[in-house]
Amino acid sequence: MSELLHFTEHTLQEVALLIMAIVYTLRIRWLFSFKVGRERQASTGAADTNPQKGIIYSWAVIAMPWTMESTRTKPFFYAQFVIFHIGVTLAILLSFIIPYAPSLLSDNPLLITIIQVFIGAAFIIGCVRLIRRITNVYVRAISSPDDYFSVILLTVWFAFAFFAVPNQYQQGEVVLITYFILTAFFLIYVPFSKISHYLYYPFSRYWFGKSMGHRGVYPIRRVSKKGGVEYGK
Amino acid sequence: MGNNTRSHKAEKVIERMGTKLNRQMVTSLAGCVHCGMCVNSCHYVLANPGDPTYAPVYKADQIRKIFKRHYDWTGSVFPWWVKSKSLFTDEELEELKDIVFGKCTNCRRCSINCPMGVDYATFNRMARGLLVSVGVMPEGVAVVSKDQWEIGNQMGVLKEDYLETLEWMEEELQSEFDDPEIKIPIDKKNCDIVYSINPREVKYDPRTIADAAKIFHFAGEDWTMPSEGWDMTNFGLFSGDDELGGSVARRLFEKTEELGGKKLVISECGHGYRSTRCEGQNWGGVEIPFEMESSVNTMLRYIKEDRIKVDKRRNTELVTFHDSCNNARSCGLYEEPRELLNLVCSNFQEMYPNRAENYCCTGGGGAMSMSEYTNRRLKSAKIKAEQLKATGASIVITSCHNCVDGLTDLIRHYKLDMQVTQLVNLVSNALVVEEKVKVPGIEIPVTVEDEEFKGRKILVIDDEPDFITYISTLLEDNGATVIKAYDGEEAIELARKEKPDLMTLDISMPGKSGVEVFDYFRTDRDLKSIPICIITGKPELRKLIYERPENPPEGYIDKPITERELILNIRKIFEVGYHDEQSSEKRL
Repeated sequence: MSELLHFTEHTLQEVALLIMAIVYTLRIRWLFSFKVGRERQASTGAADTNPQKGIIYSWAVIAMPWTMESTRTKPFFYAQFVIFHIGVTLAILLSFIIPYAPSLLSDNPLLITIIQVFIGAAFIIGCVRLIRRITNVYVRAISSPDDYFSVILLTVWFAFAFFAVPNQYQQGEVVLITYFILTAFFLIYVPFSKISHYLYYPFSRYWFGKSMGHRGVYPIRRVSKKGGVEYGK
Repeated sequence: MGNNTRSHKAEKVIERMGTKLNRQMVTSLAGCVHCGMCVNSCHYVLANPGDPTYAPVYKADQIRKIFKRHYDWTGSVFPWWVKSKSLFTDEELEELKDIVFGKCTNCRRCSINCPMGVDYATFNRMARGLLVSVGVMPEGVAVVSKDQWEIGNQMGVLKEDYLETLEWMEEELQSEFDDPEIKIPIDKKNCDIVYSINPREVKYDPRTIADAAKIFHFAGEDWTMPSEGWDMTNFGLFSGDDELGGSVARRLFEKTEELGGKKLVISECGHGYRSTRCEGQNWGGVEIPFEMESSVNTMLRYIKEDRIKVDKRRNTELVTFHDSCNNARSCGLYEEPRELLNLVCSNFQEMYPNRAENYCCTGGGGAMSMSEYTNRRLKSAKIKAEQLKATGASIVITSCHNCVDGLTDLIRHYKLDMQVTQLVNLVSNALVVEEKVKVPGIEIPVTVEDEEFKGRKILVIDDEPDFITYISTLLEDNGATVIKAYDGEEAIELARKEKPDLMTLDISMPGKSGVEVFDYFRTDRDLKSIPICIITGKPELRKLIYERPENPPEGYIDKPITERELILNIRKIFEVGYHDEQSSEKRL
């Protein structure tokens, strides 16, 4: 292993993670510098709903595509979302596995295949998302350079992650070095971009769920045409 | 940015945004990933396919841009990269007004469909409030807000008119049941229930007051209505003005407390219920010593506790139920109305989607008061119209006065054969009373005097369905045959066809204005002899009519009008100023 690869796998990643942690801390501090809206009124809605249930439901909504019309009616889009995010998770995990637990991969070709399948699928979805962002009139109208760049960055990163999974540095280090440089860039860039949405997700869903639970709206309840009450629980 | 000079109003909007932001809003503003999942949840988008400016995320971005530019450092440092943008001119404020007031009803449907939990409706309301604070708002919003600030209710109903209406309803009930003991108590102290209503009930639909009073009476309720502070509606919800919201809510809370009421019951009104029950305390910053509930819960409780008996066979027509957005998506009030409905009506058809996923009536968010957006609103109502039609019902029930107006308007526009009514009317109709019962509603006994316009055909021209209903009822009660036209084109067509004896004409209408219609009538060979009575809510437009070369109108009345004013003016036109064709011809 060359010194450059070692540097990108270790020092570069550590510095990038440190920068990300500092910026995230500042972001959260900034968020908490705003006052909290308070609900003084007594709760409304069904007796079995409350803020706590609302919060849990709100956090879990993303894993329950049947609860929201927007995900329920677009199963293909929802599947893309799931695979894309699994791909992101695996590509990040990879940046820890390779430097700190390489044996996990070298001893397990099945794991390599599974990770490659997901990251490869995420790459394809990244391409689809980029095309959608360019061609869909609604999405194009709202897209900023950051939106395009974030999708391109992740898609390119997936491509290098895909080839980096086997960790075959003996056969050439270019792919691995590029993957780790991209990972470091990704970590530093994320807090400044829309990719930081996962930082806000727990908070936005927490407050929305708390309010909707207090008001008896969450968990969503509906009656479908097929009959029968669906509680979305 | 070429021009860095900022208008005073833009400066204030930016500055005040900082005081309005809270953590919930900031996460909503910062957390959007521009995924577009909200797009198809909005009725405006569905009715205007291909126009991205209606998409919730696009609309939200117009506010988000300002937030990012001034309150989020990524947007301050790299504005072009994240498309953040400041506000500079009053024209930009007008553009923002068009979006936050004219392209969104704050129905919150997109909020519950956002994977990130972005609550667009909440910060859209904030943006409305910011614009209102610098005087940028639709004219209707300004007028209604002014009425609510100055007169204490959003329809400008005067205290004496309110009390007179209650007295009138009390007399009707006493007469209907031949029972002088039936009362609508005013300012009675220490009652179990203080009943608050929507001024629309006083002005256009007093039947709902009588129906509620009837139910309270037969339930043996110890109740009262306040002489002041009785309006549970709150335009602060629509205008985004928290000060107005807090002030209106406090007025109601303080009156209830002063009366020693144990519970404040809110009549069927979506925004009124939400404003009073779920937002008023937050806007007003107050704790209250009494409970609050919707009259839907009250009526349901009476039936469950066997305090009133109902017979669902009295309501046999096929009905469906429309959920008010404010009730269902902001207060969780969607099961109780259905439970009540199933107890008082025998033929209920669910609407799809329903409950918190139901579509907006399109009249929400104060849209009914913003006449400049009427065409846009009615176009977007296509979605609701299709939803209603699919039920096959002949009656749509809703627990919201705003929805009554919105639905009535779209039903007329899309020519659906449906009626809109409320649960209180159904419960009243289903109420089993041992004494002789004559239901539904209030029938005014016809006297000889009431027949004074008998044989007269009057064409009523106005774009407000509520107003048409109101004056039609008054004229019909006085024996006239009323023909209704909701816009200028329809008025001309009906005038030609029906040859009325008199026409009442609104000046401010979407499409062909009242002035154009007036011109047309006055210059048309067949129609010029028909007398016209202008009835307008915009006295400032009076000169547009009187400065014209044509003959002036035979009558003129400012809105709001009373029954007395209307009848006197119409009588005067028929008796004194009645268009004598000869004199008219002479003038010409």
